[in-house]
Amino acid sequence: MTRMTDDVIIKTVCRIFTPFIQIFALYVIMHGHHSPGGGFQGGVILGASFILLVITQGLDRTRRRFSQRLDTIFCSIGLLLYSGIGVLCLILGGNYLHYGKLSKLLPVAAAEARSLGILGVEIGVGIGVMAVMYSIFSDIVTGGE
Amino acid sequence: MTEFFLGVGIGLCFLVFLCLYRGVFGPTVLNRLAGISAIGTKTLTILLLMGFVYDRVDMFMDISMVYAILNFIGTLAVAKYLETKGEV
Repeated sequence: MTRMTDDVIIKTVCRIFTPFIQIFALYVIMHGHHSPGGGFQGGVILGASFILLVITQGLDRTRRRFSQRLDTIFCSIGLLLYSGIGVLCLILGGNYLHYGKLSKLLPVAAAEARSLGILGVEIGVGIGVMAVMYSIFSDIVTGGE
Repeated sequence: MTEFFLGVGIGLCFLVFLCLYRGVFGPTVLNRLAGISAIGTKTLTILLLMGFVYDRVDMFMDISMVYAILNFIGTLAVAKYLETKGEV
C-alpha cells in the first residue's frame, strides 16, 4: 500500500490531478457560506489529495514533501485557530464563538465581523481535518509505526 | 424540458440497480469493484440532472465534482489494496 505504483498512467494522471483537487478544496472551504461545503468538507477533500499522493507516489516520497512533524504542526494550528477565535470572543465579553464581539478588534461592523469570524473558524476546521485525516491514514497504512 | 431530464434520471436510476446486482452477486472482487465504480459515475450524472430539474445547476455542480473525485480516489485505493494483498 505504501510503495510507489508501477503504472505510469496512474502516476502521471495523479501527479497532474493533485493540484487541481487542492485548489478545488480551497474553493470549497472559502465558498462554504454560499454554496454547499464548508470547513469539514473542504478539509476532507484536501486530505484526500494527500491520500492520493501516498497511494500513487509512495509514503516515502510524500513524507519528503509533507513530513509527520509538519502534519502535527498543521493539526495544532487548525485547533488553535478554531479554539483561539472562540476564546477571543469569550475574552471580549461574549459567549464562546460569539463572533459579533470581534468588531471591537477589527475595524468593521458587527455583521461583517461575524462573517469574518465564521470564515476564520472554517479555515481552522479545514486545516485540522486535513491533518488528522492524513495522520490517521498514514497510521493505518504503516501499522502504527 | 424538465420532463425530459426527469425521464433520463429515472432511466439512470433503473440502470443503477443493474450495476448494484453486479456489485452484490459479482463472481469475483473485480466485478464488484467495477460495479461500484459505475454506480458512482451514474450517481454524479443523476445529481447534475437533479440540478437541471431544480434549476440550481451551480450548486449541484460542486457536489457532483466532489463525488467524482472521491469515487476516483476510492476505486484507486481499493485497487491498490487488492494489489498489495495479492488477491488479483
